[in-house]
Amino acid sequence: MRHLATWSILGLTLTFLIGPFLIIILAGASATDYLAFPPEGLTLKWYLKVFTVESFRASFALSMALAIFGTFMALLLGVPAAYALNRYDLPGAETLRTIVAAPIIVPGIIVGLALLRYMVVPTGVTVTLALFMAHTALVLPYAVRVVSSSMTNLRADMEEAAVLLGCSRLQAFTKVVLPNIRGGVLAAFILGFVTSFNQVPVSLFLSGPGVRTLPIDMLAYMEITFDPSVAALSALLAFMSLAIVFTAERLLGFSRYV
Amino acid sequence: MFRNTREGLALALPAAIFSTLLFLVPVGILLSEAFRSGGSWSLQGYIDFFSTPLNRTVFLRTLKLGVLVAGTAAVIGYAAAFCIVNLGPKSRGKVFGMVVLPLMISPVARTYAWIVILGRTGIVNEAITGLGLSDTPLRLLFTETAVFLGLLQLFLPLMIISLVSAMENIPRDVIPAARVLGASWIAVFFKVILPLTKEGLVIGGTLVFTGALTAYITPAILGGSKVLMLETLLYQRVNVSNDFVSASVIAMILIVMSFSANLLLKRIATARS
Repeated sequence: MRHLATWSILGLTLTFLIGPFLIIILAGASATDYLAFPPEGLTLKWYLKVFTVESFRASFALSMALAIFGTFMALLLGVPAAYALNRYDLPGAETLRTIVAAPIIVPGIIVGLALLRYMVVPTGVTVTLALFMAHTALVLPYAVRVVSSSMTNLRADMEEAAVLLGCSRLQAFTKVVLPNIRGGVLAAFILGFVTSFNQVPVSLFLSGPGVRTLPIDMLAYMEITFDPSVAALSALLAFMSLAIVFTAERLLGFSRYV
Repeated sequence: MFRNTREGLALALPAAIFSTLLFLVPVGILLSEAFRSGGSWSLQGYIDFFSTPLNRTVFLRTLKLGVLVAGTAAVIGYAAAFCIVNLGPKSRGKVFGMVVLPLMISPVARTYAWIVILGRTGIVNEAITGLGLSDTPLRLLFTETAVFLGLLQLFLPLMIISLVSAMENIPRDVIPAARVLGASWIAVFFKVILPLTKEGLVIGGTLVFTGALTAYITPAILGGSKVLMLETLLYQRVNVSNDFVSASVIAMILIVMSFSANLLLKRIATARS
């Protein structure tokens, strides 16, 4: 009896959370020229069409580049910051923490608009560069948080021992600290990559002729076309995210860090 | 702990400076814009904003949907989290993984599914016309219900995750003890589970409420211009009418709402104990 109740609650919840994806996978395979569910006839043509749409290819490349380089940059800034906040008795550490975490608190649409108006317009930097900066800022809080949490488990005396045994501080970091927080850094990279790749509000205003991230491009596409290709693309993106997360989970127990 | 403060600052400052220059400064200027209408400091921007009926409607709708989504997520979240915590270790990890997974998938994809479900030729309408309940398809998209469902699906995992980790910390024997001593399940929930998980509820509630306020895609796709929320209104104001003062006002409202939600929930949580 109790089992039944437990599994019906979980069943309903999971259907609500996961069911829509199954629907989207099938809707993308409908042979109709419009969205239909249940699909009328099955075809792979929409799944194949996705790859031939020029704007999808360009925006996919942009989103990929932003997610990879933005997250890389965020880690470059975030790992030393996380290290310093954990290992040093810094004046104003709380303030520093808040400043670095701030981008997570403010709605993305506002960040995008602010950057467009006070950075792109007055200084003339390209929209692509602004996007890169915005995505870096967006991922930075995650990078610092995830790396920090993997660093708290690492005892400082290991490093002190390395230094006493003749390592320089830098060597102690690369030989002792870095190998121990590798899992955390990788987890931060994946979390940052996914966050950046899926991000919409920040990029909403930061788009120009030929410069559009994939989600924004999909929004624009579905306003003019009603064929199932957006469903197909959504399904493909879902598979991509799942593949990344599954691999990460297998390799390093990703869920510990989220 | 290392004592060399200068070295520590050198490591931490690049991140802080980056965040300040690219984030705090531009956002700060944007927020100040509404107070500087006509060259002097005033609240005119805010007065103008709230004197427009449409803006008031959108503000109240955003608040209402945020509260509804967070409240519903809490109810479902408690039920689901309680079940998850009581599962055996093997199925527990699997179910928890399935709850987390949707978070990794593009919100565009997650919202688009609702078009398939609620659209004119979607499942619900096919069922309704198929069963002869209505001759013409119903308009289910571009309604508050559609936006509500989309937002709930988007943010429910955050509530479940917060509540699961809170419930894991409830000492194992407390609930059976309360039951043995004769407490009903309702009493157990309000006197044992709720007080012991309120921190999780505060975190989950803030995440869901803030998420619902600041989501763009869901109200844009499922609400359109018929069911505007603050985010979509902001976008319209900037793109259609170049109205940066309204944009600044909305930005401030969104930030203030998120912060007050967090403070209010914290206050409620501490008042109980």
